Amino acid sequence: MKGRELGFFSAAALFVATTTLIATEANAYRSPDGRTEFHGFLEDVTFVREGRGISKNRNTVQLELDHEFAKSGMFSKLFFHLALRATYDGVYDINADEFGRTAGGPIQLENLGGPAFVAALPPGAAPPFLAGPTTAHGFGLPLPLAGPPPNLGIDLATNPNDGLRVLGFPLHSQDGGLAFGVPVRPCNVDSRGCIPGYLNFTEDDLRFPTFNSRADFLREVYIDATLPLDGAELGFRLGRQQVVWGRTDLFRVLDVINPVDFSRNNIYDELEDIRIPMWILTTELRLGATGAFDDLNFQVVWNFDKFRPSSLGQGGTPNQIIGAGGLLRGLKNCWDNGCTVANFADPLGLNQGLVAVNIPAGVIGVRQANMPKWNLDNTQIGGRIEGLLHGVGFSINYLHFRQQLPSLRGGIPALNPFGPLSNDLLAQPRPFLPAFDINFPTVDLVGGSLDFYVDGIKSVFRVEAAYTTGEEFANGLRPELFSKSDVIRYVIGIDRNTFIPFLNEHRSFLFSAQIFGQHLLDHELQPTVGSSLGIPGFGKNGMPDWKNNWVGTLLIRGMYMHDQLNPQILFARDFKAHANVIGPSVDWLINDSWRIIFGANIKFGTGGQKFDDGRTGNQFPPFTATPLHASPFEQGSVGLGGFEPLGRFRSGPIGMAQKEDEFQLTVRYRF
Amino acid sequence: MKTLTAGALSAALGLCLSAGPALADTVDDSFYPYRDSVPTHPFVKPGVVLTADNVDQAKDALDEAMYRFIKEGSVTVTVGETMTLDLHPAYVEATRKYHEGVSLGDGPGILLNHIAGRPFPKAPDLNDPRAGEKQMWNFKYSYNQGDGSSIVPFWWKFKNMRTGKVERTIKFSFHFMNFMHRVVESPLPEYADNPSQIYRATYMKVLEPFDVKNTQLLILRYEDDLKRDDAWLYLGFQRRVRRLATGQVTDSFLGTDLMIEDFEGFNGRNSDYDWTYVETRNILLSFYRHNEMPQTNELDEPDGFQFLQFHGKGNCFPKTTWQLRRVYIVVGVPKESGHPIGKRVTYLDAQTYAMGSEVIYDRKGEIWKNLVIGKSDSDYHAPINKGAGVAIDDSVGMIDLQTGHCTTLQFKVNVDPSGYQRSMFTVQNLRATGR
Repeated sequence: MKGRELGFFSAAALFVATTTLIATEANAYRSPDGRTEFHGFLEDVTFVREGRGISKNRNTVQLELDHEFAKSGMFSKLFFHLALRATYDGVYDINADEFGRTAGGPIQLENLGGPAFVAALPPGAAPPFLAGPTTAHGFGLPLPLAGPPPNLGIDLATNPNDGLRVLGFPLHSQDGGLAFGVPVRPCNVDSRGCIPGYLNFTEDDLRFPTFNSRADFLREVYIDATLPLDGAELGFRLGRQQVVWGRTDLFRVLDVINPVDFSRNNIYDELEDIRIPMWILTTELRLGATGAFDDLNFQVVWNFDKFRPSSLGQGGTPNQIIGAGGLLRGLKNCWDNGCTVANFADPLGLNQGLVAVNIPAGVIGVRQANMPKWNLDNTQIGGRIEGLLHGVGFSINYLHFRQQLPSLRGGIPALNPFGPLSNDLLAQPRPFLPAFDINFPTVDLVGGSLDFYVDGIKSVFRVEAAYTTGEEFANGLRPELFSKSDVIRYVIGIDRNTFIPFLNEHRSFLFSAQIFGQHLLDHELQPTVGSSLGIPGFGKNGMPDWKNNWVGTLLIRGMYMHDQLNPQILFARDFKAHANVIGPSVDWLINDSWRIIFGANIKFGTGGQKFDDGRTGNQFPPFTATPLHASPFEQGSVGLGGFEPLGRFRSGPIGMAQKEDEFQLTVRYRF
Repeated sequence: MKTLTAGALSAALGLCLSAGPALADTVDDSFYPYRDSVPTHPFVKPGVVLTADNVDQAKDALDEAMYRFIKEGSVTVTVGETMTLDLHPAYVEATRKYHEGVSLGDGPGILLNHIAGRPFPKAPDLNDPRAGEKQMWNFKYSYNQGDGSSIVPFWWKFKNMRTGKVERTIKFSFHFMNFMHRVVESPLPEYADNPSQIYRATYMKVLEPFDVKNTQLLILRYEDDLKRDDAWLYLGFQRRVRRLATGQVTDSFLGTDLMIEDFEGFNGRNSDYDWTYVETRNILLSFYRHNEMPQTNELDEPDGFQFLQFHGKGNCFPKTTWQLRRVYIVVGVPKESGHPIGKRVTYLDAQTYAMGSEVIYDRKGEIWKNLVIGKSDSDYHAPINKGAGVAIDDSVGMIDLQTGHCTTLQFKVNVDPSGYQRSMFTVQNLRATGR
């Protein structure tokens, strides 16, 4: 039986079983001796997105089994936990025109210099399809590598102008910038741009995300064992699990052991729901009160699972953090099949706008994802010292792990699209050329956390900080288009329960505010020739990520009807991106079994932002040199920029989702 | 294992007491008030059922709220025989050994030279301006959970008093342990490795329902009464331990009718209130022998233990007999101007210093809530508690008179040390056992 069929039948069986349980008003099962317990929930989550219709119809069954073994042998406690999760997301069937097998269509790409270009050519030499300010995918200016006319450099039989969206849709227009088509249908319907081993999801993979080759329906399965020592305990937890470090909400400063699934609901779901459990062994020495410490513990974490990156969401799916899934899929299609790139070149030096260009396969884009294979060296390990000293909770953490977000490393061998003109016919590394492999470098993290209570202001402070080495970032100043930077991240949080008598006389409101800071210590950003001259549309070049940035959050939660009706507002602001999100919701616990959550997720502020896009990098000298280059053979960008592809790193996850306002309804039945 | 049972020691002590009046001192007066006679009342006698029709004759033996409930027909009260509820002899002996050195500090919240036992066994004196404070110290260091105890399971029910509908049921496990002032379980009188001078720790875990299952709470109470508790919450849906702001003790606990400050009658710092001793009076309290009360088979336990029933309007009142007991009435007025409570009128059982009843007034002077804590003699409870010498928490009704709502608590208390270990009372335990 194929994996997806297994997934379908398993999910169907779980749904039938759970529906039967609901119909019979079943309760959780507990064995007479209380050692075995079985329970679970059924949940429907439906989101409606402005302008797109239903963006999520996720139906989940989760079953959990716990068993505590009788004390025996050397262990004082022995515990088994199993959690199975089956999910069917109906959005790919219900709203297939937006997110499923019939999503996308033909696209038009900007060709702002086209009319002037065509007018400047001798009669009959001008391709008619370039005469307008836009042109269809596949109908950009052909380059010499394509061969003589009528070759266009793109095979429209294998890379048709259908099933596409323009990169950046629906956040921003092309606005004179760089753009290309992104295939948006599931990979079994349209395999263009799918990246084997990484972002390569079929319709069934998307519908049934827990039934995949990594057996994600096995949400958690582990054994807990406690070995008593003289006045202390040695604890082990072995199995598929989540290991949570840190003391803050929403942000992942220390909480980085498990990768997360951003494709579920971007950054907005509880981390508990989107951490991807891994096969891990944790060992803890719990000393209890020791010396000056009221509590002192040592933990070693060994993540021996095969590496998994965080899930970014595939191009065409509803949730793609910073639109990365679409970018990667579009780039992969460019590499495999070639692509038309909007507003790319000024071949005649007319300075009246740029024309769209057909770039053949093997020149730009993503060649492959180099997924780390399993071996002992590729496992991840860390340790933590945690305790309580004079009322202050603290931890000191170290982790050796792999970056869970992709690093796009340039410098791979690529073709010269001007090959016949230059006799440069072999693939070779080319400085500043956006031809990448995806890699996941190793990172070392050293950090710590604190929490303490200040009675004078009746508030709890939570502090978390980490220093990492080895992370890689996009960097247009480097020939390979990336560089490493040490990074400091921290969160300072404050919680206070405060009465607002005119809103609720007997129950306080929780006010929880956090500030998250990120500082790239090896940040590079320099003026370009264009920006120095103050030419409109030209800007600085370097690392698009902000050198120093902060995100603030504020949560206000009230509790009514004996905590059965809980309204809350979550607000977040990305200060450098000038992007905001507000998420009001009402959680109604109808009874011990049924719960409804109605909410919204509204963004406002700045959306797309612009950054040097590398168009003026003169990657194929002398053919791509601009008048601003000191010589036809000088390489490196002179600063022309646009929304794509790097503005996303300035916009951040909130800014990039400005067109994703949603109304959200969750219904959950627990048993 | 206990080295000596309370029953054996109290029997021995009883023999001593009967041997001659020489031992009848302040300590004996405090712990054995009914050795010669029990309280009497012209109308309130064993077997009498107080109803709306006759409650006026017992008004002086009831707190204001209970009188109102019976008068309006919300509940009836059956009077039982007054029984002596002897606390563990080790606690009595610790009192005898250490109480003379104990004194109040110059200001509120400071108790000097307390090692173990009841700090102020002498009966309160109206002429003592700090008598109220002393009673509350006696309450704080009472022996109502032994040196430690567990309550598993512990059922909390949210009830609409008007309709009787049970809106929500939460099943907890609670565990307590004294780090200091211990009298029975070693080490005595305190743990040596206790750098922050934690007096007492409370660990709680939600077992049901499953939306809050695995929520855990750890509270560390320091010996220094002027210092706030520290508390941490483990939330299953976050898989993370979260430190709590413990200054806000007037918040409803998980939506129940109890504030955190209401736990066990009063769970704040003594220094947060001005306490005034008002009078000593014979009052009806819900004290009884668990095994002799009507029990429900609604909540089965594998060992056959059965919980008490509730009755009356909304099933908000423990269905027990009530007995006439000598009670110290102490009134507490919060010092903080923004406190939602106007005053607490507490009814401290003179023999055990258990808070049998409490009437809570709002800042307008209206009755807001009434707390009834049903107490059982440990010898007439689960077999494991026999000889524990504890007035066991057994049934609680917290009634909000203003909203017509109540929260009832049904306990299965285990005072034996098998129900708790010191390792439970650490932040790391929350993480290690979190699911």
